[in-house]
Amino acid sequence: MTDALALAPVETVRPKYIGKPVQRLEDPRLLAGAGRYTADIQLDRMLHLAFVRADQAHAEIRAIDTNAAAAMPGVVAVLTAADFADVADLVATSRMQTYNATHCPLLARDRVRYVGEAVAIVVAADRYRAEDAAAAIAVDYAPLAAAIDPAAALAPGAPQLHPEVPGNLVLEREFRTGDAAAAIAEAAHVVEGTFRLARKSPLAIETRAYVADYDRGRDAITLFSSTQIPGVVRDALASLLHLPGNRLRVVAPDVGGGFGGKGSLYVEEVIVAALARRLERPVKYVGDRLEDLTSTSQGFDEVVEARLGLDAEGRFVALEAEVIGDIGAYSIYPWTAALEPVQVVSFLPGPYRIAAYRGRVRAATTPKPPTGPYRGVGRPMAVFALERLVDMAAVRLGLPPDEIRRRNLVRPEDFPFRIGSGIRWDRSGFLECLDAASVAADLTEFRRRQAEARAAGRWLGIGFASYAELTGIGSRIAVAPGMPINTGSETATIRIDATGAVTATFAMASHGQSLETTLAQIVAEELGVRPQDVAVVQGDTDAAAHGTGTYASRSAVIGGGAAIRATRTLLGKVKAAAALLFDVDPAEVETGDGVIFVPGTNHRIDFADLARAVYSDMAALPHDARATLEAQESFDPRLGTTTSATHLAEVEIDAETLAIRLTRFFVAEDCGRMINPLVVDGQVHGGVVQGIGVALLEELQFDETGQILSASLADYLIPTAAEVPSLGVAHLETELPANPGGFRGMGEGGTIGAPAAIANAVSDAVAHLGVGVATLPITPSKLARLLADNEKE
Amino acid sequence: MKPAAFEYVRPTTLAEALAALDHDDAKLLAGGQSLVPMMNFRLVQPERIVDINHVAELRGIVEDGDAVRIGALTRHAEAARDPLLARMLPVVAEAMANVAHVAIRNRGTIGGSLCHADPSAEWPLLTVLLDASIDIASAAGRRSEPGDGFFIAPLVTALEDGEIVVAVRVPRPAPGTGMAFLEVAQRAGDFAAAAAGATVRLDGDRIVEARLALGGVADAPMRLAAIEAALAGADRRDIADAVADAAADLEPNDDMHASADYRRRLIPVLARRALERAAERSSTLAMVK
Repeated sequence: MTDALALAPVETVRPKYIGKPVQRLEDPRLLAGAGRYTADIQLDRMLHLAFVRADQAHAEIRAIDTNAAAAMPGVVAVLTAADFADVADLVATSRMQTYNATHCPLLARDRVRYVGEAVAIVVAADRYRAEDAAAAIAVDYAPLAAAIDPAAALAPGAPQLHPEVPGNLVLEREFRTGDAAAAIAEAAHVVEGTFRLARKSPLAIETRAYVADYDRGRDAITLFSSTQIPGVVRDALASLLHLPGNRLRVVAPDVGGGFGGKGSLYVEEVIVAALARRLERPVKYVGDRLEDLTSTSQGFDEVVEARLGLDAEGRFVALEAEVIGDIGAYSIYPWTAALEPVQVVSFLPGPYRIAAYRGRVRAATTPKPPTGPYRGVGRPMAVFALERLVDMAAVRLGLPPDEIRRRNLVRPEDFPFRIGSGIRWDRSGFLECLDAASVAADLTEFRRRQAEARAAGRWLGIGFASYAELTGIGSRIAVAPGMPINTGSETATIRIDATGAVTATFAMASHGQSLETTLAQIVAEELGVRPQDVAVVQGDTDAAAHGTGTYASRSAVIGGGAAIRATRTLLGKVKAAAALLFDVDPAEVETGDGVIFVPGTNHRIDFADLARAVYSDMAALPHDARATLEAQESFDPRLGTTTSATHLAEVEIDAETLAIRLTRFFVAEDCGRMINPLVVDGQVHGGVVQGIGVALLEELQFDETGQILSASLADYLIPTAAEVPSLGVAHLETELPANPGGFRGMGEGGTIGAPAAIANAVSDAVAHLGVGVATLPITPSKLARLLADNEKE
Repeated sequence: MKPAAFEYVRPTTLAEALAALDHDDAKLLAGGQSLVPMMNFRLVQPERIVDINHVAELRGIVEDGDAVRIGALTRHAEAARDPLLARMLPVVAEAMANVAHVAIRNRGTIGGSLCHADPSAEWPLLTVLLDASIDIASAAGRRSEPGDGFFIAPLVTALEDGEIVVAVRVPRPAPGTGMAFLEVAQRAGDFAAAAAGATVRLDGDRIVEARLALGGVADAPMRLAAIEAALAGADRRDIADAVADAAADLEPNDDMHASADYRRRLIPVLARRALERAAERSSTLAMVK
């Protein structure tokens, strides 16, 4: 303060960081190979696991011979289900009616229920020796009858997979508003179809990996886990291993993608933690790609039979749907198998005004790997089915695809709008996004190009997909599925330490969402420092009393909201302390760019000066003003907030080879106030690319005995840069939602809209041949089949 | 996904390599692009790996009389940018652009691709198309196998135990020969659902000589002799008619990425496009002259 006179005149406006394209703060670390992933962790005396996994889909285990394996060099232990009798099965409970939970043992006990299920474990000095010994374990199976197809599994007399799940029916649920059947019977037009979305793998580039360290002195476990949900894992482990949370720490270090696949609790992480304690040595397991494709939770896999009724002017009057979901062998913890298929029927009416709705879902357990959350959860399927019906209706009525949507989307004056399943949309740019996509599409010009190309043996197609999603879901909605966890709130702790450095701590766990950047931007703007001055701590259960993790497009809305609240509280403390130092009223104190000042005066200190005054310089402030510069606030939005978009795809199909090329993709979306447009673009791009995989490439295939056929990346095809056109994104901000930051979640939308838009574009390209797409992915070979079948008819 | 233990031998001469290969259960390691994944899946568990990457005699692309001799250890990427091949056999670079991805092209070798004998792979197809022969060495001496006799079935070749492919020898095409290679795969770099290679030598619009080979549609790459015979002396505008029934006698594979029917649909299309493209190039060569 003494040299204040020499300083330049002070600024009076705090710099804004929210909304600015701030370069990612995590990139210098991650791009230079200085990140620390779970597989990078090396601990003294660490042991390595290899699993023996079921090679049959449904079989009784008659005997397991581990003698040869146990005698092999470097082998420390060989374990089977009997060795974990003291650990309870994983059971995902729900208060939902007509739900039957499954019991998932850590290791298959009497029966195996999918190819890939863990049956035995080798613990050895290294993974090579562990795999050598695993290969020497002989499991004697007696094959059991199995219904691989979900409809067959639900048929009377089908072989039972779980004694506690009668008829293989894990859940049944119906939503009903009005009399949809009657309205459809009287409708001027009805379009219908049976739509299927194949089973997917989330396929993060980093496979699942776990390292547990055991502190014998404290009887405490630290589990490093490539998880999206360290808080859920900690809480579950505490219960399963009978340890209090203060001796059970779960850390998600750098995590290389999740897409939902790391959003559930896995038997492997329970096993790694339990074994570290039992063997009193660190234990490591890094899944390989084969294990990833067979034992990481899978996505989608539903069949939707749906009918849409319209009046003579093309207004939707009623929608009916029967959905069967194939949830695989177990109802996954903690979400339950209800998560994905129930969201299909709860989101099926989409962003439209449809007076009457009936949607019923039944979920079947089959001997395949368990399904779980997958980016978009339910909505990629729902949007695919409904948007195909919308385009089919447009063709029937001779309406352009944008016009039929314009006639039916929820209008600005209709918000808040409750759809037939009960979901409530708050104001979001439904029509605005459609209009932006419609302008970008230039349908008149496109139809001219399409006709010209068709004459030259190239089939062009255009497809729209409009959707809405609920993001940043608070406790009132999160409680609806009846799971015993709270996903509706987040807590932020913002601290200025004795050096004046700012640390913001959250229970969330970024695995590619750029939270280190966006949360730092929020704290920086609210506190008056620079984003690079804010260290974001996350993914460590020791740093927060409660929290779940990062999933469901929640972190920016809920965590960002908590960050704003906590930082404002902290700023109050900063101003109060500075006001005492300056001898002014706290209201006169401003902050910005790391400086605390009073505009128009020479009062000007930095955060280190303030921290010294508060923490170290016992003369600067009166005793009772030396409050710790720390604030903790929670935020629970109670409800969710609506994000909407219209996607637009153009494809070109070679009329002879049927090669499908995506030539253009455009997204108009309303995610409220953007924290960082670079990050929003990145999330949209990534989501759309994942949606391209859904539409054109990715499919986990199983044979009639339940053997997986696509067990490597030579057969499970994901999009590469060569399959991705340049992606255009338009950001619209209509009306900001009523949460602290005005943010809407947007991590999943790309995957929600893209499959439907591409399916519509392919259907448009081949419409003149009398076929349309009802199953995704659509491939050239499948298109050939569609055309051949159509010619036969 | 770790391989079983194996003995690792790294010879620096062909003689040493042949000596190391004299073992009950030895495998040659060149680029490792097929072998190493199979070892990691433990689909193969050879007791001995003979790493031939340091055997200089297996390298090099040289003119050898009326042929070009391409060393078995030549990487796909080296073949793609070799000036001699670009001049004499431009179809090689065109085909190499379809071999998987850059990293694989940098490591994978011609010899490895020939010996792996995947029916969809590019080198087996080129070998058959270009009437190339394969030079083979063993402790007993040297022999040469014509391309169409080398590929017996998927992943099965005429190579005997103790033999090493040392080079592929491609005869110099007649002046004015146009060549083309194309394939259809679901993604850039995937194994081809079907592939076609063609050479055409025109005299005006008359086809003097045409060769047509297909990959990915049978157990091994194949020449379509009847179509070649029909095209000899025909007008280049007759190509489409000549290939219209190209799939008639074929029973292509059915797999999860491409049905047999889809492959049947592709065959005449790729055959026509390859031949027409080769004819166009022959025509261009004539004009340049």
